[in-house]
Amino acid sequence: MTGAGRNSNNITLFGGVDWWTVILYITLTIIGFVAVFSASYVEESENFWSFSHEYIKHLVWLGLSYAIALFILLIDRSSWHKYAYIICAVTLLIVLMTFTPLGKTVNGARAWLGLGGFTLQPMEIAKVGISLAVARLMSKYGFSVDHPADMFKALCIIAVPMGIAVLQNDTGSGLVFCSFLFMFYREGLNHWICVPIIFLVALLILSFLLTPGVLLIALIVIFTFSAGMLMRNRWKACIKYVVWLFFVSTILFLVFAVALNKDVNYYDCLLYTTVASIVVVIVYAYRANLRTLYFLILLFFVSVICLPTSDMVFHHLKAHQQNRIRTFLGQVDDKDLLYNVNQSKIAIGSGGFAGKGFLKGSQIRYGFVPEKHTDFIFCTIGEEFGFLGALVLFSLMALLILRLMRMGDRQLETFGRVYCYCVASILFFHCCINIGMTMGVVPVMGIPLPFISYGGSSLLGFTMLVFIAIALDASPTKRQSTLRRW
Amino acid sequence: MNNPRNDTFRHQVLRIIVCLVFIGFGLFAGYLQLIEGNSYIDKAENNFIRYIITYPPRGEVFDRNGEYLIQNKICYDLMVVPREAPRNGIDTVRLSKITNESMKRLKRSFADARRNWRTASPVVKYLSAEAKLKMDEWNLPGFYTVPRTVRQYPRNIGGNLLGSLSEVSQNFLSKHNHDGYYNIRDYIGEQGIESAYEKELRGEKGRIRRNIYANHTSTDEVEREPVPGKNLVSSIDARLQAFAEELMNGKIGSVVAIEPETGEILVMASSPTFDPNELVIGRERGNNYMRLLYEPRRPLFNRAVTSPQPPGSTFKLLNGLIGLQEGVLKPHYRYSCNKGYKAGNVKMGCHEHRSPLDLDYAIATSCNAYFCNVYRNILENKKYESPKQGYEAWRNYVEEFGFGTKLGTDIPGERRGTLMHRDYYDKLYRRSWNALTVLSVSIGQGEILSTTLQLANFAAIIANRGYYYTPHIIKQIEGQDSIDIKYRTPHYTSVEKRHFETIIKGMWRGVNVDGTCQTAKLKGLDVCGKTGTAQNPLGDDHSTFISFAPRNNPKIAIAVYVEHGIWGSTAAVPIASLIEELYLTDTITRPWLVDYVKNLELDYSIYDRRRKK
Repeated sequence: MTGAGRNSNNITLFGGVDWWTVILYITLTIIGFVAVFSASYVEESENFWSFSHEYIKHLVWLGLSYAIALFILLIDRSSWHKYAYIICAVTLLIVLMTFTPLGKTVNGARAWLGLGGFTLQPMEIAKVGISLAVARLMSKYGFSVDHPADMFKALCIIAVPMGIAVLQNDTGSGLVFCSFLFMFYREGLNHWICVPIIFLVALLILSFLLTPGVLLIALIVIFTFSAGMLMRNRWKACIKYVVWLFFVSTILFLVFAVALNKDVNYYDCLLYTTVASIVVVIVYAYRANLRTLYFLILLFFVSVICLPTSDMVFHHLKAHQQNRIRTFLGQVDDKDLLYNVNQSKIAIGSGGFAGKGFLKGSQIRYGFVPEKHTDFIFCTIGEEFGFLGALVLFSLMALLILRLMRMGDRQLETFGRVYCYCVASILFFHCCINIGMTMGVVPVMGIPLPFISYGGSSLLGFTMLVFIAIALDASPTKRQSTLRRW
Repeated sequence: MNNPRNDTFRHQVLRIIVCLVFIGFGLFAGYLQLIEGNSYIDKAENNFIRYIITYPPRGEVFDRNGEYLIQNKICYDLMVVPREAPRNGIDTVRLSKITNESMKRLKRSFADARRNWRTASPVVKYLSAEAKLKMDEWNLPGFYTVPRTVRQYPRNIGGNLLGSLSEVSQNFLSKHNHDGYYNIRDYIGEQGIESAYEKELRGEKGRIRRNIYANHTSTDEVEREPVPGKNLVSSIDARLQAFAEELMNGKIGSVVAIEPETGEILVMASSPTFDPNELVIGRERGNNYMRLLYEPRRPLFNRAVTSPQPPGSTFKLLNGLIGLQEGVLKPHYRYSCNKGYKAGNVKMGCHEHRSPLDLDYAIATSCNAYFCNVYRNILENKKYESPKQGYEAWRNYVEEFGFGTKLGTDIPGERRGTLMHRDYYDKLYRRSWNALTVLSVSIGQGEILSTTLQLANFAAIIANRGYYYTPHIIKQIEGQDSIDIKYRTPHYTSVEKRHFETIIKGMWRGVNVDGTCQTAKLKGLDVCGKTGTAQNPLGDDHSTFISFAPRNNPKIAIAVYVEHGIWGSTAAVPIASLIEELYLTDTITRPWLVDYVKNLELDYSIYDRRRKK
């Protein structure tokens, strides 16, 4: 179906368009409309077509989105590369307008623009600009992900909207840009950077769940063990290691116990042994010239430093953010704090296999699920269409993301590839956080579910993201010559 | 580093990550919706549906003349919604004054109420109408009163007969709540009529389904209207009951009066008794109940049905009837009595009277020796091979008269008394026993115990000349044409009617000519009666008396049992006589007798001794 566009150099409106993506997009938006309708339909309402109903507004936005999608396919497909920085700057300017009197505060976040009867969340549209700008930067000749200076530039672009989001008190939207790690990995980010980042994030989460003492012991055990593993092939070194370990730790122990006249407990013993073993490992690594060991030791120190830091960072968060994280980690049993997630889980769980039927979900109808048509829209699907509905949604979302990744992989130019991966990562992050939070496996963040949630700006933003990717993919000069079907 | 364009490895890694994450979501959704689904469905329903129980008014009970025995009264609970109450505190001193509740208890109930910030909780329960008006006048925000009905007993009589209401106990809920009708904090009848006619009185609870929206608004739909409890008409004569309780005051024992032609119980007074209003659900119920429970004379006991005692000489009538029916006794048979009866090792004392004497006079003067002879003749009847078989025959007669069995009355807690089987004696005496061994039964002592109800029923049988209706206390149930068939079927005894006439002649003589119970004589009423004086090892003899009147076409049969009342004629006879007089003539012509009964002092030190222990 894409053959025609490839062979002829004439750019027609639908030439080379990836119809799979379009079909997935249209299906998802229709599901979204059904869900929004179900969540906002009021039986008692006299006027079905009244503009005060969310579903009517959503219908208008849907039409607008389709129009914009057409428009994107119409305009010259090379202009995205050309005007990437300008688009980025413009969208960021619009975002900054939220700090002017035009800005509106909704749910404590000053992330909205009031335009007449409409409210816009410009950050959703800024994602397009940022993706384009990052793609443009990374497609520059000679750009390398392994080059710190280049990476710094890319991170700077990402840091701008993140900073603005934090200032807007809308941290959730800012965190979306973390998903670019996904794209960076595709572009060849060193494994040794990914591993510690994941490790430190895991540590951050664990530091809330476990006491510092337990965590310290766990760290010590892991690192001592892995250091030992690295030296496994050198048995002489191992013997030396054990002897030294015993010797140095005994000395340390004696020094502390006798000289400082302190009561010694298990913690101390373990700490001394570790300090001793690290000394031994450093000396050994220096002499054997083992860089991985250096790395390991560095990571250990970083994580030990990280332990108290995580606590400090946590205390700098806003109260509601702290509560959300605590709630997620199961450290609160306050009913008010648990309410959202509990009700959302009840809604999804009570859907059963086939759901309660369209417009028949009690949790939705009786208004127990908060934000039922925006952030918690997945509850509507889970409750009224059950496990089947959820599976259909998951598969469509997964297919769309995989399709976008595939579109990226077949691009000839780095610009198109990076852009498609940016879109895929943003979509993936949104799905993970949104679905995860409704099911209570991720802390609650105000992030919409792409194409499904009510909200004009997010629908517009995602439409633009996806259709620019389609447009880039459709431009015949940028297609890879060999195609594989998936 | 490879050119990222061709880096298929990383592409695959990312693909796998995306797939795994979505599969993970799918699995978790499956866990929530398929495995845990049912529990979430319950939770979702609990979220928006509340069933609200509406309570019907409980049935009321009237006496046979239409007077209230048990009445419903409206009282009020003071409720508070803490969220709506004034934040800066309220005038608890004034509240305490109005509700007559201590500050300490008020504070405690406020603290309890604050746990449910948005919902109403009771602060003070069972307010009077007066206090309710004062609260309305004060108009304190967040406070309001809700009406609820409690029981009221206008006549203050029959505490242990009428019963009371209590909250359902946890024990009852877990063991006896088979139909699932009761919920915690529901009321249930306890003892007496309240308990016996619980099903009729309680009605049926109604149910309202309330759909609740998350913003705390709701819509109600009535699923079931409550069905009010049925009113009952009791056969009790409230005036008579009150009089009987008044007479029995200070004594221990019971009075039962039955209308012989229907089996309706006119009076069932047990002494000591208590004011049923003390046990009305309210603030004082718990304390009062515990006090009554531990009182040594056990006022909660309905002695008329729960306390079997030796019937004493009243039992001689039955032996006389059986003797006549078996043909071993003829009215003209004369036996001598030399201050008692002697046969072998057995000696039975008797008081002084003429001797020898015939059946008439034996009944009237209650001769022990005469009835020892009669009893011996019954057991040693030639018809039977041995006295043991004679005993069996005798026992069958006795059982027909309602002794040793439950009569099946509607008053709960009925005991059957004692009437031994032959096996008991066979085992006890290793098969070597005869009429003399069990001779004490002939005069109603020893292995024979009966409740006052059984004695009254016996009197009714004699009055009816041979049959009885199961005694019952409820004669009419609202909405039902008639009461249970078992209260309307006569039970016949196998003693012929003419033998009853013989016995009644003796009973009449005992009251009206030269017998033991001449106090009971009432002009023109032809009272018949028989005293009993039952020996017991605890103290003075028990005083008992059974009687009916008039002799022809009897209207009332009565049994009085006064524990440790010395002689039958000391306590029981005047009490029974006064009640009969009031019932039959509506007047008391012997005020001095009333005074005598009221001032009668009996020795109950045995109860006080038990207490010290």
